[in-house]
Amino acid sequence: MKKRLLFADDEQNLRFLYQTEFSGEGYEVEVAQDATEVLAKLEKNTYDLVVLDIQMPGMNGIEVMEKILSANKRQKVVLNSAYSVYKDNFMTWAADAYIIKSADLTELKDKIKELLEQ
Amino acid sequence: MMPMLTLIMAGGRGERLYPLTRDRAKPAVSFGGIYRIIDFTLSNCLNSGIRQIYLLTQYSNVSLERHLKLGWNFFNRELGEFIESIPPQYRTENQWYVGTADCIFQNINLLQREKPERVLILSGDHVYKMDYQDMIKFHHDTGAEVTVAAAEIPKRQASQMGVMAVDKTFRISEFLEKPTDPPTMPGRDDVSLVSMGVYIFNTPKLVRELIRDSKTNSEHDFGKNILPDMMARKEKLFAYPFKDKNQKKAKYWRDIGSLDSYWEANMDLVSVNPDFNLYDQEWQIRTYQGQYPPAKTVFVNEKEARVGQVLDSLVSGGCVISGGRVEKSILSPWVRVNSYARVEESILMEGVEIGRHARIRRAIIDENVKVPARFQIGINPEEDVKLFSITPGGITIVPSGMILEKPAQELIIKN
Repeated sequence: MKKRLLFADDEQNLRFLYQTEFSGEGYEVEVAQDATEVLAKLEKNTYDLVVLDIQMPGMNGIEVMEKILSANKRQKVVLNSAYSVYKDNFMTWAADAYIIKSADLTELKDKIKELLEQ
Repeated sequence: MMPMLTLIMAGGRGERLYPLTRDRAKPAVSFGGIYRIIDFTLSNCLNSGIRQIYLLTQYSNVSLERHLKLGWNFFNRELGEFIESIPPQYRTENQWYVGTADCIFQNINLLQREKPERVLILSGDHVYKMDYQDMIKFHHDTGAEVTVAAAEIPKRQASQMGVMAVDKTFRISEFLEKPTDPPTMPGRDDVSLVSMGVYIFNTPKLVRELIRDSKTNSEHDFGKNILPDMMARKEKLFAYPFKDKNQKKAKYWRDIGSLDSYWEANMDLVSVNPDFNLYDQEWQIRTYQGQYPPAKTVFVNEKEARVGQVLDSLVSGGCVISGGRVEKSILSPWVRVNSYARVEESILMEGVEIGRHARIRRAIIDENVKVPARFQIGINPEEDVKLFSITPGGITIVPSGMILEKPAQELIIKN
């Protein structure tokens, strides 16, 4: 069965990129543009892994992760940000991985593969 | 960056001290006449030069908050000093703290804000004198990730506690919660090292362990989960052998776990040479004291045996022993003992009044109880048991505000 991924990012281009690239890798991919959409989707569906951008309008990715983990402590979460400074925030340590955004998706792909194989 | 932040867990419900904990959290329970249990830990901090303290509170904290506000608000934020109490924030979960580790995990934002290098975790309901600086030095010298303060307890008493097995350098090799056969310390096969619930963690390690534990279905408790799990991964944990600042032969550390041990610990204070010394000017215990007139005894009418006397007792300000006799007892402020009454081996909390000819033995009487004239407590167990709860050790407990006067009119029940 295909593994299900949920990507949250406020940039439409990136959502499109994730959709295309990860569908191409054989995953079932859904995208969300903000925290509200992520949480709504998680109410209805289950995902093997959720990838969250940190800086989004409204609730940021770290807060979303806190909400996700308090509802389901086993949910796998990857934080995916253009900034490394958030690594100083202790709550980001609760993520299964923290990936610095890059045009090259190799690191993100490898990490997701590794986490899903665990 | 702050070198160390202190977190005191003051959220225990203290069910085994019920009814003393009916209206107040365990750390706010009165002890030794004028003190609250929390005063001992806070005084240790003050005397150890520790001045960055958060108190994590939870149940029934009104009395505790009031005590902190009145007695412990002298630290200066402008100098980077503080004692602040933090109620549950419900940041991640809408429920009370599940265990000790959950209590710290739910307050991880405090660590985020202060970014301390190390965190000293204390419990707000123990009675002991300890210089935490010695432990900090030990933590530094050993290069431990976690240091656990350890009290030396006779092996036979250790099986109800968190017990550590250590090597010669005091590195912990095993951490066992309530073991049936407790390990003993090197060279002393009758003594076990038990955890005092006092921990120093390097902050990054603490955060990682709390997060790891939060993702499991454990009891989220340091003694039951975090420390044993770390031991299983061969982490560097050391036991710090507790050095008592009490200047007594026996080391003193009490977790006031039951009404009987509460009564005994108080009774120790009135003995000639108590195990726990309140009179040490080098290690003073601070508390909040209101404006009380001096304690007073009145009447020396020996012919009629109407003599106000106090023997082997602690008597707080505002008390009047008016022609009654008090022996081996602890009196909080504003207690009144009237003529011909006798009080022995008892703890009378603030505002208690003992009527004429009343007799009190081996009792704990909580705040503002008026004992009527000729009333007897602790003398006749068959009668007592109809009105009061009696501990396994035979101490009669009178909860605060209980009305002991007979109703003015007898209640007539018609068929």
